[in-house]
Amino acid sequence: MLTVEENERLTRIGAGTQAGKYLRRYWWPMCLSTELPERDGAPLRVRLLGEDLIAFRDTEGKVGLVEAYCPHRRAPLFFARNEECGLRCVYHGWKFDTKGDCVDMPSEPAGTTLQAKVKILAYPTVEKGGVVWTYMGPKELMPPEPDYEWTRAPATHRYVSKTFENCNYLQALEGGLDTAHSSFAHYNKLGDRTNLRQHDRSPHIDVERTDYGYYYVSQRNVDDGKYVRVYHYVMPAQQLRASVIGYEGVRNKPARLDGHIWAPIDDVTTFVYNIMCAPHPEDELTPEAVETREKAAGRGREDSLPGTFRLKRNQSNDYMIDRQMQKTQNFTGIVGVNTQDFALQEGMGAICDRSKEFLGTSDKAIVAMRRLLLDAIAVNEKGGTPRAVDPKTYRNVRAYDRVVPTGQDWKTVMEKDLVAIW
Amino acid sequence: MLTPEENQRLTRVSRGTPMGELLRRYWQPACLSSELPENDGAPLRLRLFGEDLIAFRDSEGKVGLVDAFCPHRRAPLFFARNEECGLRCVYHGWKFDRAGTCVDMPSEPAGTTLQSKVKLLAYPIVEKGGVVWTYMGPKELIPLEPDYEWTRAPAGHRFVSKTFENCNWLQALEGGLDTSHSSFAHNNFGNNKAEPRQRDRSPKIDVERTDYGYYYVSTRDMGAEGKYVRVYQYLMPAQQMRANNVGWFGGKNEVPRADGHIWVPIDDTTTHVYNFMCSYDETVELTPEWVESRETQMGRGQNDLIPGTFRLKKNQSNDYMVDRQMQKTQNFTGIVGVNTQDFALQEGMGPICDRSKEFLGASDKAVVAMRRLMLEALDIAQNGGALRGLNPESCRAVRPHDRIVPPGQDWRQLFEGELRAKW
Repeated sequence: MLTVEENERLTRIGAGTQAGKYLRRYWWPMCLSTELPERDGAPLRVRLLGEDLIAFRDTEGKVGLVEAYCPHRRAPLFFARNEECGLRCVYHGWKFDTKGDCVDMPSEPAGTTLQAKVKILAYPTVEKGGVVWTYMGPKELMPPEPDYEWTRAPATHRYVSKTFENCNYLQALEGGLDTAHSSFAHYNKLGDRTNLRQHDRSPHIDVERTDYGYYYVSQRNVDDGKYVRVYHYVMPAQQLRASVIGYEGVRNKPARLDGHIWAPIDDVTTFVYNIMCAPHPEDELTPEAVETREKAAGRGREDSLPGTFRLKRNQSNDYMIDRQMQKTQNFTGIVGVNTQDFALQEGMGAICDRSKEFLGTSDKAIVAMRRLLLDAIAVNEKGGTPRAVDPKTYRNVRAYDRVVPTGQDWKTVMEKDLVAIW
Repeated sequence: MLTPEENQRLTRVSRGTPMGELLRRYWQPACLSSELPENDGAPLRLRLFGEDLIAFRDSEGKVGLVDAFCPHRRAPLFFARNEECGLRCVYHGWKFDRAGTCVDMPSEPAGTTLQSKVKLLAYPIVEKGGVVWTYMGPKELIPLEPDYEWTRAPAGHRFVSKTFENCNWLQALEGGLDTSHSSFAHNNFGNNKAEPRQRDRSPKIDVERTDYGYYYVSTRDMGAEGKYVRVYQYLMPAQQMRANNVGWFGGKNEVPRADGHIWVPIDDTTTHVYNFMCSYDETVELTPEWVESRETQMGRGQNDLIPGTFRLKKNQSNDYMVDRQMQKTQNFTGIVGVNTQDFALQEGMGPICDRSKEFLGASDKAVVAMRRLMLEALDIAQNGGALRGLNPESCRAVRPHDRIVPPGQDWRQLFEGELRAKW
């Protein structure tokens, strides 16, 4: 349980809020590279951490991210012309480059001194791993570029997608650090006890703090040992987990390392970046394998509203819940693993009221995350450097899962599994 | 006229407000029984007095009404599994029975003590008269079960429906205690001067306080034929009963009966109206065809509702499909449906009517009397006194009546015996 005040502190992320200032110490996914497919293409509306922005790929292929409104009379730059290395506002023709410099001001007399004085707010960007990242914090505190194993993996062994979620980022992130719910919410074949998550529905959870956040180990009793999953929480809002072993206990083909980053659009909406990375060279992620997996997660090609990152099964239609299916086939009556998550997370309300919750031992990893975030906010307020700002802390991090035979120590068995190879 | 403070005091219903606490002292309709048609069927979303709740009919057919969010991590129980006498949250499998007791906690280690500590907010339920009633007040003050004549009438002689209204409950209730508007807003028959309500459009109104609230008598002058007298009942906090023995044109109705409404706040700015009918004549059942024709006349027939909802197709978003030509030539409002006409006027006052700007007349006597009773009740509730209408003994025999009283006769004598329940 949190106090109302703590809940506010953790969930409000606008500029000037404590969490807002803290989260701005990190590089954030701003959009997928594929959302800006061509040079001088259409400007893209982006809303991140409560700020309305416009992204564009300029004539040289560089991505700019600027305020959504022209500094002149606040006309919307969404309608701007993206041409000759800059965005030109279609109201009076003022033009700005990716750095935010005003490079033309044709509505003013030649030789105007105004041009040199006007800047548009512009955030630095970097493209890595199929994602366009931005840094929205103080310039002097900008960390080195983000560097996760999955951002280094070859394009054939990595896949990133994105989904809109209609609630605050924190309750979404909490779902990602909660292995216990998968025995229930994702119990998708009623009566099938061969599923590893059904053997043991109250996994033992241990959390270990690290420089980048923590890893946590969930252990479920299975027939001949323990099903051990090592999850990572990379601060502030990334989860990495392994799906080397499938629900039925057989190695997945291809095996995968999965994860999410929950990027706040604003206080009440979130973009979830969904990461897949092959753990080994033989696990190439073919388009077919990707589509199969995305479909199971509930975000296959047919599952999204065309032209958006929103699911067809959403809050407005109760995720197309089928009560008959719920009685006979799966636990929720909802199709799609992450659609099931959305139903539960969005259904908590725009911002979950944590002053009314009641936590158990299965929530250990969630409690640990909240403590780290509250600590980090305090560290940032005092001018310190929070965990995971420095990429060195997380660049070799890798999640993994295995069935560890009875009598063996998971730490010994999995030691090498947990080091990045890409 | 009310001061803004009084208006606020009378209209706001969330927990902790004076009116919210007063209304929670009474049993209130939570939903229709027909909204929970089967055991172990789909959970039903309800919102009552600003609280988000989930109703479910369990394996034994008993209804539970609980907080809409699981106490664990606040996952929505709308998606829960309704099975084996309880609601099981689909996030981590925690299960609660209709009393709110946690009966299973499979995500925690066996033998956890947590299970006995966790409770889900649950309100008591009783089903009567085709309605699921709940009590949301302090446990130690729970009154006896609701008991009205229409809840006791046989199913064939009783009908209850429900409509969504997009405004605060009080302005809706006020419309129900205001006989005089029916001469205008419900002047639906081409200004037919033979209609009793058109022969006298400023009825005399007398209010008599009772243990349950009040009754009020409206008397319309019918010239040589005498007086058209209607006795309306106001049962606190928000129920109205009126009789329709006499038809719109003064003759005997084919189905003599009591009609009525209960206005139940969804929250401060929306209301569910329960509409009930109860046939007075043992030999006259309410056939489905007759009910449908009557509901259609009211504006809420099967074809008048947005499918799957209790909302009218003719609503605020389309100006109730007002037809200005019809208004010139056929009826007073240009709107079809008696209660649709009411909705247009009541919803059009805004989400909460600003009573500091009103200007009341003699025709508003019953409205004023209701407000006074309410303001008094707010004080009584605060001081721990006895509230009107709380004890079912005070309500159970109440019945409204209407008839034409011939010249020279006293309505009291003619009505005596007719104002007592017969079911």
